[in-house]
Amino acid sequence: MDNFIKNCIILLVVCTALMCVLSYIGYISGAEMGGTDAAVEETAAETRGLEAEGIIPSVEHFGDMGEYVGFTLAGIVGGFIFGYFWIDIKGDNNA
Amino acid sequence: MHISDGILSLQWNAIWYVIALIFIAFGIREIKQRTSEDPSYMPLLALMGSAIFVIAVWHIPVPVTGSCSHPIGTPMSAIIIGPFATVILSTIALILHIFLAHGGITSLGANTFSMGIVGTFVGLGTFLLFRKVGASIWLSAGFAGFVGSVMTYITTAFELAISLNPDSFFQQWMIYSLGFIPTQLPLAIAEFIFTAAIVKYIVDAKPEIFKKLGGVVNG
Repeated sequence: MDNFIKNCIILLVVCTALMCVLSYIGYISGAEMGGTDAAVEETAAETRGLEAEGIIPSVEHFGDMGEYVGFTLAGIVGGFIFGYFWIDIKGDNNA
Repeated sequence: MHISDGILSLQWNAIWYVIALIFIAFGIREIKQRTSEDPSYMPLLALMGSAIFVIAVWHIPVPVTGSCSHPIGTPMSAIIIGPFATVILSTIALILHIFLAHGGITSLGANTFSMGIVGTFVGLGTFLLFRKVGASIWLSAGFAGFVGSVMTYITTAFELAISLNPDSFFQQWMIYSLGFIPTQLPLAIAEFIFTAAIVKYIVDAKPEIFKKLGGVVNG
């Protein structure tokens, strides 16, 4: 295991832990923790009586579980692509 | 910066689409040119594409404001692979984000303009400016991420205000910007950290990537 992989794993653990801690702080303080994009967009749309609509079907149609699964799959696929091409660029240390 | 369908007027959606398409055309040219010069540019594009896709939809909780949001990743990509190619990658990422309930097909031009064009070019401009005054690579890259991130959301606020509130445009622009800033500021700091770290790491580990790309880092 080279330094790069070690650093990546440390970063992954730190980021995951940080996200859990921040989410938990938000949860115990009773905050909604909604997305800012949607909040500002709703505020803006209300000034004209508009409502956001989804023309293309998305993971939202499958409820909360759809979002969890969708985001997890997106992260996994993105991560695998990144890792695969990283070896292409940096070179395989085991080769 | 993910504006949904049904929010912006038809006229403004069309304007943002036209602007985005101009940059996309330059992006296709940049990708074709660089790929023909160096085939290893293609895996670098795929790498940055997947990074932008994940970073720009990766919601980070900000308990201080009781909300969450995400960084953008385009300033980092602009420094590593070039600005016009980054516009293409961010457009592809934004299309995929629609399936994750972020953004919309009619507002794709507006979202590409804020994240793909403003985030990219302001970020890269900041990087080059800092390099020109002698700042180190990590500091220049960090500020590129920070400024690019903040400007992306100020642009989104601009897009909302100019389309929805043309009569009180300036006032609403400020209001929407202030709606974004408390959550985006901590995330812009996160964008500073990872942009600085990744660019510095690549410069140290694989400096030839930057040499091939026209010496932006040394410029």
